[in-house]
Amino acid sequence: MVGKSWISKGLTHLVLLIGVVISVFPFYWLAVMSTNTTSQILHFPPKLIFGNQLWINLKHVFANIDFLQGFTNTLIVAVISVVGTLFFCSLAGFTFAKFKFPGRNFLFVSLLITMMIPSQISFIPSFIVMAKIGWVNSYQSLIVPGLANAFGIFWIRQYCDGSVPDELLEAGRLDGCNQFRLYWNIAIPILRPALAFLGIFTFIGVYNDYLWPLVVINNPDRFTLQVVLSQLNGIYNTDYGMVMAGTLLATVPLIIIFFIFSRNFISGIADGAVKD
Amino acid sequence: MRYLRLFIVLACLFSLVACGSTSSSTGQHKTKLTLWYWNRSLSDDLIAQVEKKFPNIQLEPQKIGGDFRLKLQTTLVGGDGAPDIVMFNDWIAQYLPYKEYFANLYDLGAADIQKDYLDWKWNLAEAPGDKKDLIALPVDTGPTALFYRTDLFEKAGLPTDPDQVSSQLKTWEDYIAAGEQLKEKTGAYMVDSIVNVYNQELGQLPKKYFDKNENYIGDSPEIKKAWDIAVEFNKRGLSAKIDSGTDWNAAVNNGKIASFVNAVWEKQIMQDAAPDTKGKWHVASAPGGAGNVGGSFIGVMASSKHQKEAYEVIKWLMSPDNQLKNYLDVNLFPSAVGALESDKMKQKEDFYGGQDTSTVFEESAKEVPKTYFGEHYVTINSIFQDELKLVERSGKNPDKAWKDAQAQVKRELTRF
Amino acid sequence: MKEALGTNTNVLPVKKRSLWSEIWKNRVSYLFISPFYILFLIFGLFPILFSLYLAFHSWTGLGEMKFVGLAQFKYLLTEPDFWHSVGNTFAIWFISTIPMLFFALVIAFLLNLPLLKFRGIYRTLFFVTNVTSIVAVAIIFQSIFNNNYGLVNYFLSLFGVDPVKWLDNSVLVKFVLASMVVWRFTGYNAIIYLAGLQSIPQTLYEAATIDGANRRQTFFHITIPLLRPVILFTVIMTTIGSMQLFTEPQVLLGDSGGVGGAGMTLSLYMYNQAFIQSQFGYASAVSWALFIIIGLFSLINWKFVQRF
Repeated sequence: MVGKSWISKGLTHLVLLIGVVISVFPFYWLAVMSTNTTSQILHFPPKLIFGNQLWINLKHVFANIDFLQGFTNTLIVAVISVVGTLFFCSLAGFTFAKFKFPGRNFLFVSLLITMMIPSQISFIPSFIVMAKIGWVNSYQSLIVPGLANAFGIFWIRQYCDGSVPDELLEAGRLDGCNQFRLYWNIAIPILRPALAFLGIFTFIGVYNDYLWPLVVINNPDRFTLQVVLSQLNGIYNTDYGMVMAGTLLATVPLIIIFFIFSRNFISGIADGAVKD
Repeated sequence: MRYLRLFIVLACLFSLVACGSTSSSTGQHKTKLTLWYWNRSLSDDLIAQVEKKFPNIQLEPQKIGGDFRLKLQTTLVGGDGAPDIVMFNDWIAQYLPYKEYFANLYDLGAADIQKDYLDWKWNLAEAPGDKKDLIALPVDTGPTALFYRTDLFEKAGLPTDPDQVSSQLKTWEDYIAAGEQLKEKTGAYMVDSIVNVYNQELGQLPKKYFDKNENYIGDSPEIKKAWDIAVEFNKRGLSAKIDSGTDWNAAVNNGKIASFVNAVWEKQIMQDAAPDTKGKWHVASAPGGAGNVGGSFIGVMASSKHQKEAYEVIKWLMSPDNQLKNYLDVNLFPSAVGALESDKMKQKEDFYGGQDTSTVFEESAKEVPKTYFGEHYVTINSIFQDELKLVERSGKNPDKAWKDAQAQVKRELTRF
Repeated sequence: MKEALGTNTNVLPVKKRSLWSEIWKNRVSYLFISPFYILFLIFGLFPILFSLYLAFHSWTGLGEMKFVGLAQFKYLLTEPDFWHSVGNTFAIWFISTIPMLFFALVIAFLLNLPLLKFRGIYRTLFFVTNVTSIVAVAIIFQSIFNNNYGLVNYFLSLFGVDPVKWLDNSVLVKFVLASMVVWRFTGYNAIIYLAGLQSIPQTLYEAATIDGANRRQTFFHITIPLLRPVILFTVIMTTIGSMQLFTEPQVLLGDSGGVGGAGMTLSLYMYNQAFIQSQFGYASAVSWALFIIIGLFSLINWKFVQRF
């Protein structure tokens, strides 16, 4: 029995390691590219070991763009978006999953349908809306439209469906909890893994969003990080070493954030049951 | 009430953001101008000098990365947030029919400086019509020439001296014949792709797909001839069939591609793409004559409240002296004759075997024919390019491809 | 779809009453879901109506709009490029979705094993695919699959195999695009499943193990059924996502979708028509066609997942 579990453990790690190698390889290559000159990057066969250009490339990044300003702006937009999205989406998702009210199915299906509308085409009309309400060049235009989004609500609803026991809510009701209390005190702790996912990927989505902020924001002091990064591309030729170094620098915070917050994938219930 | 606190925090954050977006007035008596440009489309150093040169102007340069045209288009439609000064790339032709969005620079005195610039280049920013409208001043140009590998040419028994290469490869037919010789002796390909060949031929033609009244003339003998020449390269196996990307870099770096015709801005790209071939490349005037691919413009928006001041700024930015500075700082090949002829343009370049390539490009720049693109140039050209790609990459019959292209164009034109 | 949604989740027993009093009674529920609908009315509705209006017009984006009736839709139905891109989109969906969701499930299952070491690190490493910049990814995939000088062809040449035109061949290019999708989104879906797996009590597995069930049996008889709502979520989102596939073909093949448009997806086609060709009216018609296709296809997928 001991031997067998040792083998299966080994097998598990082997499978995971193969997956990890495939996953990480392009990222590793990105890191390698950021340490080489453009010529070395474009060379064939490509260089797969680290070069010594990282500092020079990074220096070029900082000489050409205001990285920190862009990062700060993105952080402001992303943090507000995450907090707002988590709140509004979980509240609505929980309500859809656990309460019956007239028109619920109709409302939910129409919410799903909005996700199926191709987004690129609404680019210009969306800008017209922003222009009409005077939000061009403001952070609101980046934050508010996505605060309560169909994706998040759908996700929380599906998660709630399988994970929040009706008995628990019934017990809460008998204790005199109102609907918000049921949400806040009972559902939220159980929803922790789902919220962690939604929070992290909302953050990534906002962090990596490029076209919309490019169009809506004019003032260089308010450019978000991706918009700032795109300034590195030349019209005729591009210094790939510099672009990759900037890209790497922008990606590292995301990985750190993910590493820290992904601990919340261990659910509230499991936390109580198995202390580690 | 924990959630009350959350609400308060949220509300505070929102008000913070809202406040942040209303404080923007700083210059008291200065005229504030905004400028949209992209990386390396103007010398940043030169932009920084504007406020020194014009003490009453506060210039806010807004460097737009990536999809510049999408932002411009959206802003024009949305009608909010447009700058005072805007740059155009070679897609300026698409904006000529909408000249009302831009200030007519002739009204601001542009006729006075017209003589300083290359005629054909100036012409590209002029909207057709009874009353002449000029929506932008010329910035840089993309005169074309032949880039070739001296070592491979020598091995093939072809001349290596730029002047001799130019005189032996005068026409595209000469170029094809030399390509045969090169292939036989070295195994290398004369051109990178027939799509590029076709585009370069187009860059040399005065008449492209439309006449000045926007009538389609893309079935003319000139276009057909350009097409046939491109097809001929394919038929004789003289094309490496690679048009871009890292594959292209590898092929120019390892000697699979011995030459190609392209614009002056390809010079820097080559140095990054093919470092191993340093010193082996030379530049000669292109078979088929002078041509142009690419090049940008700078104009003033009609919505600007300070058109006069904005015009003075762009006029200064594009003065021959400053075009020279643009060239020296960010390699923008001048459109002002004074800058083109400057001695400072003429420098020996190690990558090109110590050749002063600017002289070749200068000659080309001065001989580019006057041309007209038309609003739908990009759409129509992409049809021809896609069909040529099919001929080259999947062996489509060239006659059928030509017919398909014409049929597609006809169908496309019924939509406008 | 009503059936599918009508799950037995009502906490509050519903008595027969008049509709209005029922609505009033549930006002808190309406309040809680209202933010989405309010934001949609402000920011979402106008763009949709605008694009519907545009679909009946011819518009270059700057000039005047010309009413053309159903001409754009007629053009669309007879346009080979449109149908071509419909076919491409479905082909890429087909070869990417199933492997992707399967790998994601396996990875999530393994990452959820009790007492697994380095769990946090594994999780993070699987996740990097989703944050690696798409520009870098494009360069890398190009370097791997280039027609002449690609890594794959380089390895093939070591065994004396001629270079394969991965990007020029109309079939192979779809596999390259699919591999890009699988690579980018397997980790993402695995993380969704991982979050979903957390809602399954560990005691259930322990009980099954005591009853002599092996890992495969617990996977198919406990994990999958209990994960169904989350699987449904990923299937729907993947369907919508692949029908709107855009970034991968654009960065790998350019705006025209490669040789003969073999990698032209519906979204890229629409983008190309709108922002490259300046055919905003036509592009709007395409977007409505795309919308209808996604809707129908999602419905089919929903029914399918509900069944098993």
